[in-house]
Amino acid sequence: MSSSPTETAFDVTMPQMGVSVAEGTVVQWRLAVGDRVAANETVCEISTDKIDTEVPAPVSGVLTEVLVAVGETVPVGTVLARIGGDAGSAAAPVPAAPTTEGPAPDPPATEAPAPDPPATEAPAPPQNGRNGATRAGRYSPVVSRIAAEHGIDLSQVTGTGRDGRVRKQDVLAVVNGDAAADPPLHIESPYRPEPAAPAAGALAGSEAAPPAGEGLSRMRRQIGEHMKRSLDTAATCTTWIEVDMSRVERARAPLGLTALAFVARACVATLRQQPALNAWLEGDRYVRHDEVHLGIAVSLGDDGLIVPVVHGAQELSEEGLGARIKDLARRARARELSPDDVRGGTFTITNPGQYGSIMATPIINQPQVAILDLEAVVKRPVVVVDADGNDAIAIRPMTILGLSWDHRALDGVQAAQFLAAVKRHLEGLPAA
Amino acid sequence: MSEMTYLQAISAGLRDELRADARVLVMGEDVGVFGGAFKVTDGFVDEFGVDRVMDTPLAESAIIGCAVGAAVVGLRPVCEMQFSDFISCGFDQLVNVAGKMHYRQGLAVPIVVRLPSGGGFSGGPFHSQNPEAWFMHSPGIKVVAPATAEDAKGLLCAAIHDPNPVCFMEHKNLYRRVRGEVPDGVYETPFSARVAQPGSDLVVIAYGAMVHVALEAVADLDGASVEVLDLRSLVPLDEEAILDSVARCSKVVVLDEANQMCAAGAQVAALIAERGFEFLDGPVVRVASPDVPIPFSPPLEQAVLPGVERVKEACRELLAY
Repeated sequence: MSSSPTETAFDVTMPQMGVSVAEGTVVQWRLAVGDRVAANETVCEISTDKIDTEVPAPVSGVLTEVLVAVGETVPVGTVLARIGGDAGSAAAPVPAAPTTEGPAPDPPATEAPAPDPPATEAPAPPQNGRNGATRAGRYSPVVSRIAAEHGIDLSQVTGTGRDGRVRKQDVLAVVNGDAAADPPLHIESPYRPEPAAPAAGALAGSEAAPPAGEGLSRMRRQIGEHMKRSLDTAATCTTWIEVDMSRVERARAPLGLTALAFVARACVATLRQQPALNAWLEGDRYVRHDEVHLGIAVSLGDDGLIVPVVHGAQELSEEGLGARIKDLARRARARELSPDDVRGGTFTITNPGQYGSIMATPIINQPQVAILDLEAVVKRPVVVVDADGNDAIAIRPMTILGLSWDHRALDGVQAAQFLAAVKRHLEGLPAA
Repeated sequence: MSEMTYLQAISAGLRDELRADARVLVMGEDVGVFGGAFKVTDGFVDEFGVDRVMDTPLAESAIIGCAVGAAVVGLRPVCEMQFSDFISCGFDQLVNVAGKMHYRQGLAVPIVVRLPSGGGFSGGPFHSQNPEAWFMHSPGIKVVAPATAEDAKGLLCAAIHDPNPVCFMEHKNLYRRVRGEVPDGVYETPFSARVAQPGSDLVVIAYGAMVHVALEAVADLDGASVEVLDLRSLVPLDEEAILDSVARCSKVVVLDEANQMCAAGAQVAALIAERGFEFLDGPVVRVASPDVPIPFSPPLEQAVLPGVERVKEACRELLAY
């Protein structure tokens, strides 16, 4: 993937996006032949089986050649395009970027600052009057309280007060759904049914039906292949357990966290005790892991989903997990994940309870051996025992955790023990 | 019901009480034959006689001292200070004698001290003060301050019925400027706050003449929904009503005509800081007179007293915060 200077032309190549990625597909060209391009400006978008990303220009210049058409899949290192030097860029010979092992093409380190005024945009000055830095992170008592009560991340709320201050009405607008709310952390799940193929004759003329013959997107196709391969490979069973989330619901609001962070923490702690579920099974090779690299399924809306990984999750508190999950989700939706962010998961959590669904049978993310499904937390009448040992009916926020596990690697007793331990952790009971 | 001025409402309240309860009497400088400096008791001496409408020497200490004694033996005296400023001469009798009687000897002192107060008419430093905070700071004394004609009569009746010493702050600048429908006969207005105008974006908390300044100031604030809370009673202070408004509006302007230092509004602000903290969406803003005596010069006086423009400016600033 070197950008070898040939006379004054520079190659734009298919980057190496992670060790296991051998090829990539050009999704879109941002520039056409003849366009001026500044160093680091996006030349084209590519898709690999791990992530989608953009290919930046190694130098400033003029796009002289486009060698790979949209939709074409080519091996890593293939020249995608060439940028011809002009007076500005030719003056700055660019050292070849580090090759194959580098995770992402670094912007070339230009030693001699090249005077290329026409192509380089000055960095945009911070906009005045928006999110004034002096107020960042300072919120009035009422704003803080409402945000805590509703689990709102205030850094995501647009302030309309002086210097972009978040006012009561701004946070209330989010609560009431007036604002274009940030998409929830995770919505759909890996096992979302594929868009039904338009049945012949059905809904003829309906605008909702996709036009006949439209192919699945590359991401959809990949998700489908992965899911189908998992079902074909693993002996998938699903076990459920009911959990009283009272303690979690009480604890999470003051921290501005969702229940997901607590469930993640409980899973990580339990996986450390039961590494049998924190494992990979490839063929007959079964590997248990000490560290927990926790995959979190993140919806990308209609495009599909991706499972970024919180590496070293055993080192993180609920708050730490919540922050990492939020950051990964944000970057996933912004298509900013690096290959490392999606690599090496040892266990996965999926959390599609946003719409009130209560149970599911998730599909294991290969080569892992288990996946946990967190659905909606719902208030239910439950039988509780008071201090004197009397039974009573109480209203409690309950949820059903579902664990799909691979019967090739595990047996039901391990799945049940795992779920019971997670339940005890969430309910604040001593370990069994 | 009949429409009358704030001043006529006070007269009506006094007259109705004198007619209804033989224990009620009026004492003060020139309240009898002359009918009072502001003519609140005009004609009273003819109807009720010199025993119940008593002209006194120019001695506030004597007026209040006599009233305390009369109250202890079962009468219900209403003392008039010609101007509230002069109450300082009767301070000891009110604060040290009347206010502590219940605690020291278990005796009720049901007196009312009428205190014509406030500025705005070029009365100068001795005829324009708002001394209510002096008495708020003294245990055993209630302090009320009506803003409307209806409340002026109702609060006066309630003050006369109350077993404690009550300072009745009647604002001179409202005497003939404010009119309203007033119920006939004796009735009581509770010692609690009243929402003079409901709103949701900001609340201006005021009492007495400042309620009218607030209402005028917030009438057009670029469409903002601004509440005006009329405290009516300063002791007891209607804490729940204040906190209700704060919870609803989250932004607060506290308005005093009195000098800012330790004014009634300072207590309101302290209450909000202590018990309304979690409702606040901005600093508690105070508008009051600066800590100087009220000037005689009309332009200077207008510069010192909180006016409509100052209140508007404070509200706009806080709304934008």
